[in-house]
Amino acid sequence: MTERSSSMKESQGSSIREAWLLCLVLGLIMINFPFIHIFNTEQFIFGVPKLVLYFFIGWPLSIVVIWFFVRYMGNGSQNTSTILEDKSDP
Amino acid sequence: MISAKNVLFMSMISAKTVLLVSLGYFALLFLVALYAEKCRKTGTCLLKNSHVYSLSLAVYCTSWTFYGSVGKAATSGLEFLPIYLGPTLIAFAWWFLLRKMVLISKQQNITSIADFLSSRYDRSTVLGAIVTLFAVFGITPYIALQLKAIAQTLGILSMPLTSPSTGLYDYTSKLPGSIDIAFFVALLLALFGMLFGARNLDASEKHEGLVVAVAFESLVKLVAFLAVGIFVTYGLFDGFIDIFQQFYEQFPERRDLLLLGTEQTPYTKWFTLIILSMMAVMFLPRQFHIMITENTDEKHIKSAMWKFPAYLFLINLFVLPIALGGLIINGGDTTQADYFVLTLPLSSGHPWLALLVFIGGLSASAGMVMVSSVTIATMVLNHLVMPIILKMNIQAQNISGLLINIKRLGILGVIFIGYFYFKLIGSSYALVNMGLISFAAVTQFAPAVIGGLFWKRANRKAAISGISLGFILWFYTLLIPSFVRSGWLSSDILQNGLYGINLLKPLELFGLRGFDIYTHSLFWSMLFNLAAYLTLSFFAKQTEAEEIQAEKFVDIFVEQAPQQSKLKRISKAPTVMEFVELMSKFIGEKPAQAAITEYLSNQEIDARGNLSDHEIPNLKSFTERTLAGHVGAAPARIILENYLEARGSEMEDVFDIFGTVTISHASSREQLSVLYDAAQIVSSEEDFQKTLDNILELLAQQFKFDLCVIRFLEPESMTLMVKSLVGSSSEHFGQFERNLNMDTYIGQAFLSNSTTVVNDADFIEKTLSAKHVKRDGITCLAHTPIVFEGEPVGILSAFSKTTKGIFTNEFIALFENLAGQVGIAWRNDQQLQKLLRGREQEREMQIARDIQKTLLPSNLPNLDNIAVAGLCVSAHQVGGDYYDFIERDNSSYDLIIADVSGHSIGSALIMAETRTFIHARMESIKQPAEMLSALNGYFLKDLDRSDLFVTMFYLQYNPVNHRLIYGNAGHNTPLLWKNRERKIVTLDTEGMIFGIKSDITFEQKATDLEPGDILLLYTDGIIEAENKDKVFFGIERLGKLLEESDDLTPQELIDRIMTQGRIFTGMRHFNDDITLVVMKVLK
Repeated sequence: MTERSSSMKESQGSSIREAWLLCLVLGLIMINFPFIHIFNTEQFIFGVPKLVLYFFIGWPLSIVVIWFFVRYMGNGSQNTSTILEDKSDP
Repeated sequence: MISAKNVLFMSMISAKTVLLVSLGYFALLFLVALYAEKCRKTGTCLLKNSHVYSLSLAVYCTSWTFYGSVGKAATSGLEFLPIYLGPTLIAFAWWFLLRKMVLISKQQNITSIADFLSSRYDRSTVLGAIVTLFAVFGITPYIALQLKAIAQTLGILSMPLTSPSTGLYDYTSKLPGSIDIAFFVALLLALFGMLFGARNLDASEKHEGLVVAVAFESLVKLVAFLAVGIFVTYGLFDGFIDIFQQFYEQFPERRDLLLLGTEQTPYTKWFTLIILSMMAVMFLPRQFHIMITENTDEKHIKSAMWKFPAYLFLINLFVLPIALGGLIINGGDTTQADYFVLTLPLSSGHPWLALLVFIGGLSASAGMVMVSSVTIATMVLNHLVMPIILKMNIQAQNISGLLINIKRLGILGVIFIGYFYFKLIGSSYALVNMGLISFAAVTQFAPAVIGGLFWKRANRKAAISGISLGFILWFYTLLIPSFVRSGWLSSDILQNGLYGINLLKPLELFGLRGFDIYTHSLFWSMLFNLAAYLTLSFFAKQTEAEEIQAEKFVDIFVEQAPQQSKLKRISKAPTVMEFVELMSKFIGEKPAQAAITEYLSNQEIDARGNLSDHEIPNLKSFTERTLAGHVGAAPARIILENYLEARGSEMEDVFDIFGTVTISHASSREQLSVLYDAAQIVSSEEDFQKTLDNILELLAQQFKFDLCVIRFLEPESMTLMVKSLVGSSSEHFGQFERNLNMDTYIGQAFLSNSTTVVNDADFIEKTLSAKHVKRDGITCLAHTPIVFEGEPVGILSAFSKTTKGIFTNEFIALFENLAGQVGIAWRNDQQLQKLLRGREQEREMQIARDIQKTLLPSNLPNLDNIAVAGLCVSAHQVGGDYYDFIERDNSSYDLIIADVSGHSIGSALIMAETRTFIHARMESIKQPAEMLSALNGYFLKDLDRSDLFVTMFYLQYNPVNHRLIYGNAGHNTPLLWKNRERKIVTLDTEGMIFGIKSDITFEQKATDLEPGDILLLYTDGIIEAENKDKVFFGIERLGKLLEESDDLTPQELIDRIMTQGRIFTGMRHFNDDITLVVMKVLK
């Protein structure tokens, strides 16, 4: 392997790592105070309490995000940032 | 809708059925495990399946999840959720966190979380023991909780809550004393753990049976929970919305359950629970075991990253509906909330569904108990028992059998400690909250693990202090209060603090008020833990070994420099077999043999079947790693240290030959500079001896050798003679020549044409050498052949009396390179000598040639009646051709052409002799035939002794009467151009080459010449000149040239013949001497 390609791989590896770290931090924010305070009301949406709905929609969505991410990693060479912009964890 | 009345008439399943189904389920688990083991043996490892890995991770969900989540949701609302949101979040970090841990563990053969920490921090025994103790404290009660769940659910299932006198107790009442059904469950689980979790000692090996069984259990508990969830949500109620609506209608005062930031679940607690669960899913010993130790493929992490959170999501999907549904059905009664999943199907008349749920719960408990017991037993064996065993210094040949039995005993022990916990304090507050308390316990490992992964400076002291302080704070702020609530301690300490000091109240430490118990505990324990960890990491110094270990962890993704271990050597190193014996003692003979075979297949082994001196440290590391896989890193280190110490061997720093530290770039620069100096010496104009002395001087000075010697082979005596020597001479090593045989190292180096090295004179194999080495106090030595064109011509040797182990592979390369430089110097010298000899010879030849030239007539006379020209071209410096033109008194001329065979000095001497003879006898011998006879007589005795022979054509021309008389001694017949007749005749007479026979008569003939006639004498050089087709120039061509050139002067004719000859051969030079003599009659 040439030096160039290995350093490219390295930078790709670290950008993936940073992307994961970003998701982790975003996730931590989204399921904690004060963010969840937004949903912490007695309102019902489709007959389900808002907060419960938030968690039970946001949770599978974040799993889908991981799934996409993992698939992207497996397939290779797209730019990481496009995935990040698509990410819409509630 | 179901009325509250119905609850009282719950259907029931006979205890017999429950027991049979449970036993049947256990039998199924054993079969699954056995099947997995069988698959492994046939090569289709089920662990290679990423689904199995993801499912087995769900060992995270214990009965605490299975039953407890619903209970929690019914009493505290959304508080159950963070326990599963946390793991989902941390899954984002698996790609760089878990993957790194897996890679490291594989490389280091790590067996448990305690091993991981101990291994990272200088393979510390103390740290391993602390972590193990911590884990035992934190986890064993958790096992009790699982056993309790099994016992309780068994009871609920087989006995209506309303009539405690029937059902299961019918069976168990017959058993003596405290033994009950949970006892048998514990026994079964222990048996399972011993069979599939301690098959052999190698804990780093995979346990297919155990893991596949756990994965199977995960599947069962998910299916069971989903089944009851769907049943409650869509069977008893009309979907999610219906449940929420009914709940809000019936219990408007409990709507807080579905909110956060309430008194019950403040945001801080929520946050704390998320952090605790994030850490727990990584660092709980059973999670560590399943996630890391049992991982077979890095790729499984990728798929588990979403599959495991998806599993958690599914198993939590129906928690709220079941909890709220249970509240609605039970009229808001939460006393049995923990078992809603079981009681709801029972009370609604679906005992088989309840049975399925029971099996699911059994799975959740069993999985946790099995894995936890195996991991804790491994930790206890490796970090608590092994250090003691090693202290006892058991001398037995093989204690692997003992060790594996201790491990099995450990599994049994852990489970039964759990069982007795359950019997003693089964219903206490401490036990019920044990789940979260154990989460908080393992969270204390987080700084040391994560810091250890990414921060090289994190060190042993920091980790020990951090974890210990965390442990103390955890104990004080979490366990003490729960002990008080269980009634084991007086509440005085909670009220007034330790020794009545207010600031030391366990729940309001240092006056921190207003937080729930978990947040309060997490804050203080983490504060002290982190503070100690960070501070000491900054200020405490790492040992060298610790630094290396830290690098192995932090830089796992970075290519390791292969040089590292080469800078160490082991004095009095054990042999390969001794390492195998050592391993056999602890892991059994077969595994040891298998391990070493695999290792050696990747190593270069020298001709004697030994590893090179610098491979031994690698073998030592390998042995340590292999042992670590069985007994843990810290004990493995101790085993090897003790072993080497007992032998008197020790790891020592290799004498730093290049005066710099270990960086290879720097050392290669030094290396280059030495080689550069050597090259300078070689290319200098110094004489050979001086060059050799200078090179040795350089070698001795740069590397502090006590003696350096260069020997060259004396081809006649076949001995190695000392040519140069620098340093303190010793009687033996410096002086004498050496015979060539394999008994000495020097002989071996020469004969095998390879470098021989003795790095430690204490371990010398050749007895002959050993004697001298000992006497002269040599500690290490090396011989390398000086090679020219692949053949050894000499030996470069270096001896040290002070240091051992100088000759690293790196240095040997340099040493050989120096020998190569000496070889170049030798070659230069050889060539110079040759050149000098050649020059000398050439000068002599030049003289000979000059002399020979003067023997030929230098300028032929200008005569009126004839014109004469001659040419003699020697193919080499000197030749054997001769021609002469001599004027006699009677105004006749003698023309002689002769050819002595060969072109050597000998030929030239004979030629000179011939000339001298002729000139001397000129006066007395008048006739050609006479002269030839006389020469023959003269040469007869001389030529006989050499291989040479002489041919000659002798003519005598008298211009007065135009008479030409001639005789031939075997020479080429001259050509005569008869101008008037315009034809060529050849002149020939009877005769024979000189020196063959004594009594031969030379015939003499005569002919008359006329003006215009041309006589051409020649030697075979011209007619036998070959072109590239191997065709001779020949007499015909020569004759034709003569025919065509009758108008040319003799000189012009000779020039033309030479030109044509060159054109014919296509070469500037001829291979043979060429002599041409032309005489033209003018008048």
